[in-house]
Amino acid sequence: MNQPNSSTAETNQEICRPRDFRGELLICSGSGCTANAADEIRNELARLLTEHNLSNTYRIGMTGCHGFCAAGPIMIVQPEGIFYRKLTIKVLDRIVREHLIEGKPVESLLFKDTVGTIPKREDIPFFSRQVLISQRNKGLIDPESIDSYIGRDGYLAFTRTLRNRQPEEVIQSIIDSGLRGRGGGGFPTGLKWRACRDAVVSSGLSPIVVCNADHGMMQLESDPHSVIEGMLIGAFAVGASEGVIYLRNTYHLARKRLEIALAQAAEKGFLGTRIAQSAMSFTIRIHRGAGAFIGGESSSVVASISGSIPEPQARTIRNAVKGVHGRPTVVNNVETWATVPVIMHKGADWFAAIGTGIRKGEPLSGSSGTKVFSLIGDIAYPGQIEIPLGTSLGDVIARFGGGVPKQIPLKAVQIGGPTGGYIPASRLDLKLDFDSLKAAGTILGSGELIVLSEKKCIADSLKNTIEFLADESCGQCTPCREGLNIARSILRRITEGNATADDLDGLRELGLTMRETSMCQFGVTAANPILTALDSFLPELRAHIDQKRCPARVCKSLIRYEINAERCTGCTMCARACPVSVISGERKKPHRIDSTRCIRCGTCFEVCKFDAVEVK
Amino acid sequence: MADKITIRINGNAIKATRGANLLKVLQENGCDIPTLCAHRDLSPGGTCRMCLVELESSGVRSLVTSCNCTVDADVDVFTESEPVIRNRKRLAEMYLGRFPNVPVIRELAARCGVASSRFSSPVTDPNPRACILCGRCVRACKEFVIERILDFAGKGINRHVAMPFNEMDEHCVGCSSCAYVCPTGAIRIVDDLNQPVNPQLIRDHGMKVNAEMATLDKMQNRMREVGTANIVEVMDKYELLPVMNYRFGSHPDTPKIDSKVLKSRYFTQEMADGCWRGCSMACAKAVDNYTLRTGPYKGQKVCVDGPEYETSGGGANMGCFDPDFIVEYNFYCDTYGIDTISFATTMGFVMEAFEAGQITEHHTGGLKLNFGAVDDALEVLHQMARGEGFGVDVGQGIRWLKEKWVREYGADRQFLQDIGMECKGLEVSEYLPKESLAQQAGYGLAIKGPQHDEAWLIFMDMVNNQIPTFEDKAEALYYFPLFRTWFGLMGLCKIIWNDVVPANNKFEKEAAKIPDHVNNYFKYWEGMTGIPLNEESMLLQSARVYNLQRVMSVLLGYGTREYDRMPYRGMGPVTPPEYEWRKDYFDKQLRDILGVDPEGKSTEEKIRILRAHREDQYEKVTDVVYRRRGWTKNGVPKLSRLKELGIDLPEIVAIVRDRQDD
Ligand SMILES: Cc1cc2nc3c(=O)[nH]c(=O)nc-3n(C[C@H](O)[C@H](O)[C@H](O)COP(=O)(O)O)c2cc1C
Ligand code: SF4
Ligand code: SF4
Ligand code: FES
Repeated sequence: MNQPNSSTAETNQEICRPRDFRGELLICSGSGCTANAADEIRNELARLLTEHNLSNTYRIGMTGCHGFCAAGPIMIVQPEGIFYRKLTIKVLDRIVREHLIEGKPVESLLFKDTVGTIPKREDIPFFSRQVLISQRNKGLIDPESIDSYIGRDGYLAFTRTLRNRQPEEVIQSIIDSGLRGRGGGGFPTGLKWRACRDAVVSSGLSPIVVCNADHGMMQLESDPHSVIEGMLIGAFAVGASEGVIYLRNTYHLARKRLEIALAQAAEKGFLGTRIAQSAMSFTIRIHRGAGAFIGGESSSVVASISGSIPEPQARTIRNAVKGVHGRPTVVNNVETWATVPVIMHKGADWFAAIGTGIRKGEPLSGSSGTKVFSLIGDIAYPGQIEIPLGTSLGDVIARFGGGVPKQIPLKAVQIGGPTGGYIPASRLDLKLDFDSLKAAGTILGSGELIVLSEKKCIADSLKNTIEFLADESCGQCTPCREGLNIARSILRRITEGNATADDLDGLRELGLTMRETSMCQFGVTAANPILTALDSFLPELRAHIDQKRCPARVCKSLIRYEINAERCTGCTMCARACPVSVISGERKKPHRIDSTRCIRCGTCFEVCKFDAVEVK
Repeated sequence: MADKITIRINGNAIKATRGANLLKVLQENGCDIPTLCAHRDLSPGGTCRMCLVELESSGVRSLVTSCNCTVDADVDVFTESEPVIRNRKRLAEMYLGRFPNVPVIRELAARCGVASSRFSSPVTDPNPRACILCGRCVRACKEFVIERILDFAGKGINRHVAMPFNEMDEHCVGCSSCAYVCPTGAIRIVDDLNQPVNPQLIRDHGMKVNAEMATLDKMQNRMREVGTANIVEVMDKYELLPVMNYRFGSHPDTPKIDSKVLKSRYFTQEMADGCWRGCSMACAKAVDNYTLRTGPYKGQKVCVDGPEYETSGGGANMGCFDPDFIVEYNFYCDTYGIDTISFATTMGFVMEAFEAGQITEHHTGGLKLNFGAVDDALEVLHQMARGEGFGVDVGQGIRWLKEKWVREYGADRQFLQDIGMECKGLEVSEYLPKESLAQQAGYGLAIKGPQHDEAWLIFMDMVNNQIPTFEDKAEALYYFPLFRTWFGLMGLCKIIWNDVVPANNKFEKEAAKIPDHVNNYFKYWEGMTGIPLNEESMLLQSARVYNLQRVMSVLLGYGTREYDRMPYRGMGPVTPPEYEWRKDYFDKQLRDILGVDPEGKSTEEKIRILRAHREDQYEKVTDVVYRRRGWTKNGVPKLSRLKELGIDLPEIVAIVRDRQDD
């Protein structure tokens, strides 16, 4: 199995299935599907199986998220791999009768695209084009069963590593693979481990390995053991006997699954003392983090675990040398950890061949392997995908995301989360890898792609982003605290039509100083949205200032709602919906909006069936 | 040896020490670097970003904050490059936009060439004493007094300094460190509980102490970290640790009970101390969750207050180099209300007497009290508390034991007198004074008995050789007991006087007195009372009390010369092994000082010669000290001295009138 692109084929077949059942009904129990009543579906299905005497023929299993939440609740029927989407309680009876008893999948519940119906998950383009490394088990195993993980070669990489490799070799493999941190920083993982190991030797202190799970909920919910196994390999490499998972406090399901996984791993002897009859000891505890954006920054994580406020630390010494309680500490992201076992299993060269590879002699550049991206915003298939680094932005939007819905043109994609820059639609050729993104003024960050259609206003979007960031800044350092606050006032003025031309200069200067002088990467990268918006969308921002006009007709202070008398049928729908009752008019006669009292909520625009309400 | 490297500042090569703080290096070389959050007595904040400079290393330039940057490679530093100036200006503009009327901000802006700000916002604060979020107060709370009463709350623009839950925290001792370091006057101290005349004077000098504790202790003593426990290894190094009833001054097993062991295995770290909350020294350490091995609380987990140096040193004096034993006897002494020093010194005496056969198991009730007998020593302690067996006798102290053993067991009076380390009925504390005449007299002439609270002169005399002549020693034995008595009366602690000393103390004329710290004490007095104080008036105040104490001692029957003599164990080797232990050193003394050739003489003979000399020295120094103190040859305060001090009240005169023969 060396062809990366066929990995889904492999992963889809060998599902762990107890022999005495004919098949399995795998219900997604990710946060998205659980919110959409996966539990009720499970109960109803169990009832139906009993009713039809199928309880001993089909087993119900729960899986983690498929990353395709738009289609949820999802269920896969094994062994055929039939993918049911948007389930409701009502349709289950049909599935049991027609599919399980009569052998005919229920056509209307299957996935359809423009080409036709696609019954199997592995054939749906959204899945077939992904290269699943960290998410190799998503939707395919029961995250609450270690056997399910072991059934798919789980812990094999670790036990082999422990038996056959030296710590130094492991570090060298990770360096050779070109793996760079998936938490956003992109620091070469192997070099971090080496720095830690060196610090252990020179200081004599025992090291700690940390999993930064301030984001990465889906990985932990669908496959907690993958992270534990990665941490075991990392612990072996740096000589650690203590591991900590820094988990965002709101990740309740992930915590429950992790707790189960940790207990199972301990029971099987993967955690504890004398692991697999070796001299190695390793335990992992969960440290719950407050769950602020800034709490995910690595020195905040270390501060939190050490018992302080999770705030970036003004230090010049790296965590790898002096981290938790002053001990050498490796902090890696959830996805980074989940990737490690596969690299050990399939080899550094295999991994380096995926993506844009590593550049010899330049460990700080190049992007090998895959990365998980999440697609949100104005996109047909929002969700999470894992694809080779270096895939073009256009490919991701069109082939994985299904484009912007309703044929609306694309305006921009904000890449990397709130501190990412706006990439205009003209740059769809942009490759999604560490270096290309940096050159384009943005970051890989959390891998979030926020898609904005032409109906979105950049000034408005930027204002909302900066409002969020200004609230999330920890406030320690001047450029980030004051800069974001001032930028927020400027953007409020722009979107309200009160700004002057000087404000745009001010905004740029603030952005540059934030980028150049902030203490941590939050403040440095918070400049990205500001500076990219100024670079690529200056005319649109200018229109707000010079003409007091919002070209996308989003900024409330700059728009008016009017009723086109010719189109209005006098149905009274808008007048009844208006929350402030400022629409008047007789039945069957054209209505009017009193724009002095209108609060520009846009309800009339939404409810009018005759497109008579217009935005000016 | 400091490792020197060359760096270039704006093109000029200069030498710097590897690891030095970049901001300091720049300032020392005349660069004008604007700063806000930095404070000379605090660790760097790194948050205001004003101290930016550009570094160039292997062709790559980067902006860094100099206050938290160390120089550790050959780099080019640019303090006035375009990016530095530009960003400084903008930062100053941001500050000015938010705090337009705060004087330090206006000065800073002017210094950066910023006259006005484009950046006002809804949160612009016109208050001239607004908090500018520099964080100095938070660091001062943590670093000066080891508290975290003040900290930041709120994120982003809502960040503000607060006490927990925005309430006045009752743990705040009002040390005022925060107000002292605040650059804007945002913190005002409103309460002065004792109504001092000049609180600011007290605070100014208190803050000097706090700053020294925060910055110098870690280099000088590490007492914040390990309390007094590290004295164990220092004393061992200088042969001053009392080992096995003061026979020796060091032992190969000392590392088993030194501060490293206590710190790594016992002390609970990073907590405020129980002695006095808010103390910026916080030398009182504690051992949490210690499981007792013996006694009525056996098996229970307890918190032990200590061990301090004296308690650990006492372990050595009993030959018990066992940290568990030390923590355990520390706990039970505290619990029973027994002083660890008296217990340890008495047990050292008992153990030596036992090993020398002066007493036997018959007398101890079967306990085998050899040196190092940890279990039996603890059993004596429990017996003492229960009022049973041999413990009852030991609890009476050395003076009583000597009498009983001579009277009832026929023990050797001279031997017991020589090795029983007590004076005026009090056991000697845990320092070996054999080689310091001044310390022998410091112990012997102390009014309350041989504790070192009145005079601890070992280092001054022996290690630093600051008081070589009789007159010097007498002067020290005049001044220090008076000064120590004075600040003791004031309720002031000695640690902030002479443990951590000012960085430039060594350049002072009378360095041993730590003049700068003595001056702090005078200012506390002045701040409280409004009356200025100097050395002369302080000595006068103290001498009244001191002489009164001596008169009381006379009245109680201990205030005369015969009670001021030390047992010979405190002055020189009593037994051949003690002499042999430092044979070369003692031989040399015989040769150099007495002109006696030790060759061919037996150890006993050499001991005798040395003893005659040392006892003679002790008598001589006693004479000089008495004279300096204004006492008769018999150690009684002269009437003229009492008159001079204005304490010649009839009742006092009546006590000493008949003892004036000189
Ligand atoms: C504002 C901010 C938020 C961050 N949040 C996260 C996070 O939620 N999870 C994460 O793994 N890394 C996050 N990081 C990156 C971490 O600082 C760090 O680089 C990472 O955890 C290291 O692991 P890696 O090398 O495996 O990526 C964040 C960084 C910044 C500046
Ligand atoms: S850049 Fe922002 S988040 Fe980072 S330390 Fe400064 S204020 Fe805090
Ligand atoms: S109160 Fe004063 S010292 Fe404390 S942060 Fe504010 S300005 Fe700085
Ligand atoms: S003085 Fe260096 S950051 Fe404030």
